[in-house]
Amino acid sequence: MTNILVVADIKQGELKGSTAELLSRARALGADTAVVAVGAQVKDLADQLAAAGSDTQYIVEDASLEIFSANPFAAAVVKAANEFNADMVWFGFSETGKAVAPRVAVQLEAACATEIIDVTIDGDAVQIIRPAIANKVLQKVKVNAPKLVAVVRAGAFEADPEIAGKENVVALDPPETDTRAKIKELISDASGEIDLTDADIVVSVGRGARDQAGVDMVKDLADDLAAGFGSSRAMVDAGLMAHNKQVGQTGKIVAPSLYIAVGISGAIQHLAGMNGSKVILAVNKDPEAPIFNVADFGIVGDLFDVVPLLKEEIKKIRA
Amino acid sequence: MKILTTVKKVVDVELNIHVENGAILDKGLQYVINAWDENAVEAAVQLKESHKADTTLVSLGSGDNTDIIRKCYAMGIDNAIHIDDPALAKADSPTFARVLQKVYEAGDYDLVITGKQAQDTDAGQAGIMLAQFLNIPCVSNVIKIEVTDDSHIQVSRLGDAGTEILDVTLPAVITVSDGINEPRLPAMRGIMMAKKKKINVMDLAGLGTSFEDVGGTAPTSEIVEFMPTEKRKGGQKFEGEPAEVTAKVVDLLVNEAKVL
Repeated sequence: MTNILVVADIKQGELKGSTAELLSRARALGADTAVVAVGAQVKDLADQLAAAGSDTQYIVEDASLEIFSANPFAAAVVKAANEFNADMVWFGFSETGKAVAPRVAVQLEAACATEIIDVTIDGDAVQIIRPAIANKVLQKVKVNAPKLVAVVRAGAFEADPEIAGKENVVALDPPETDTRAKIKELISDASGEIDLTDADIVVSVGRGARDQAGVDMVKDLADDLAAGFGSSRAMVDAGLMAHNKQVGQTGKIVAPSLYIAVGISGAIQHLAGMNGSKVILAVNKDPEAPIFNVADFGIVGDLFDVVPLLKEEIKKIRA
Repeated sequence: MKILTTVKKVVDVELNIHVENGAILDKGLQYVINAWDENAVEAAVQLKESHKADTTLVSLGSGDNTDIIRKCYAMGIDNAIHIDDPALAKADSPTFARVLQKVYEAGDYDLVITGKQAQDTDAGQAGIMLAQFLNIPCVSNVIKIEVTDDSHIQVSRLGDAGTEILDVTLPAVITVSDGINEPRLPAMRGIMMAKKKKINVMDLAGLGTSFEDVGGTAPTSEIVEFMPTEKRKGGQKFEGEPAEVTAKVVDLLVNEAKVL
């Protein structure tokens, strides 16, 4: 039997969908499942964590965990992994996962794999699949170490609504704070914004929008759709969009039901961040733009004409 | 302040990659400096200019990295080490981190700056693991480095909840995102001077270690096969009267794709 510990993905006190996705997959693999929740206020999430498909909930709660700090977070996960005797530790795709997974892997003497899209367990043999080279190839990787720490790529697994676990809460002592990489301040992302990595629809804006007025117009479309609002790198470099909005190989990886790329030409690094989307709509005035090679639906036209029309049409169907 | 920065030579992701029989074909591949490592080099050179930091670059790999090292010299790096060992062709992240550990321990560095990940593997592990092995602090995905005093820096990191500001005690490892800077284009003078500079090339034995010593012979994981990514195909593209095509596409999104 394989023991899989899933690290709860919690943002601003809310449990994110990836946790249930990972737990569903772990159960489908026949594994015993547990989840570890780390934060200043996570106790109250225990029933949700059980409903998401875990049979044990390790709770590491302390005021000192209010703002993310990688080493204490890793220490908490390691503690839970040892308590549970975990063969695998899975993180959802997040900056937290990317920062913490290698630390946990070193401490558990485990193999570490980021951005995995599949895991197979055949007796003692564990293999994972992950994209590489900006999503241009897939690697099949054999795990040699007795344990595996993995960060699962956004959208790789689906939550099974039938699955539920049972509540078995185990409180663990909080880790020590990090005195060598001391958190001084968190400049929070604007609250109330729709989380890009968790949104069902994502609208992203590219260079075609030209300036702030163009960005605002596309943002309006995103707001109308209650969509996450993302960006190409060009708009971040131009100072028109915040770094944390960048979709791509180096930024956020998204896999929504619908991705709307507005004025984005489709550089390979951008495509690597969104080509797991279920349906892609591209709006671009250049009919040769590479984005059309991956888009299910393309509108060749000036976004300054098309975006207001899209808003109108959407208003009609939503009425 | 002594800074060690790391660079990796990676396949150019802009070009087509062909996979056959489980392997990537060499044909048509070109190699470039990993883009995020270029940001790391720029960050190091900026600290050289602002705080008289001494900058050393290390590249790991199997084969000649002279071209990318010359580029970093031209950007302003002071010294370069190239660990050239055929065994490293198939090394995993912990092994790379162990080699970097040996390089670090052979110098007297205050700060290690690496790119947040390599464009070929997108793993993003070596820098963080290096800090774990050395038991020194590490902050990843950094977009700003400021020197506080001889033994402290303040960094900004892009996290899940926002931008985290941290006070870091040196020595430390920092992995940088592309948001930290715009790597400079080397000036002609720098390019000419770079040609005269010496590159300290050594294999693992020259570094006083061996492939076994750095865990290379017992990798935690190994790639057994490459496969082509299932390519998305372009679908329906509409040109014409904007109002008409927009209405048509929205109708398809609602009734055919059922995503609106």
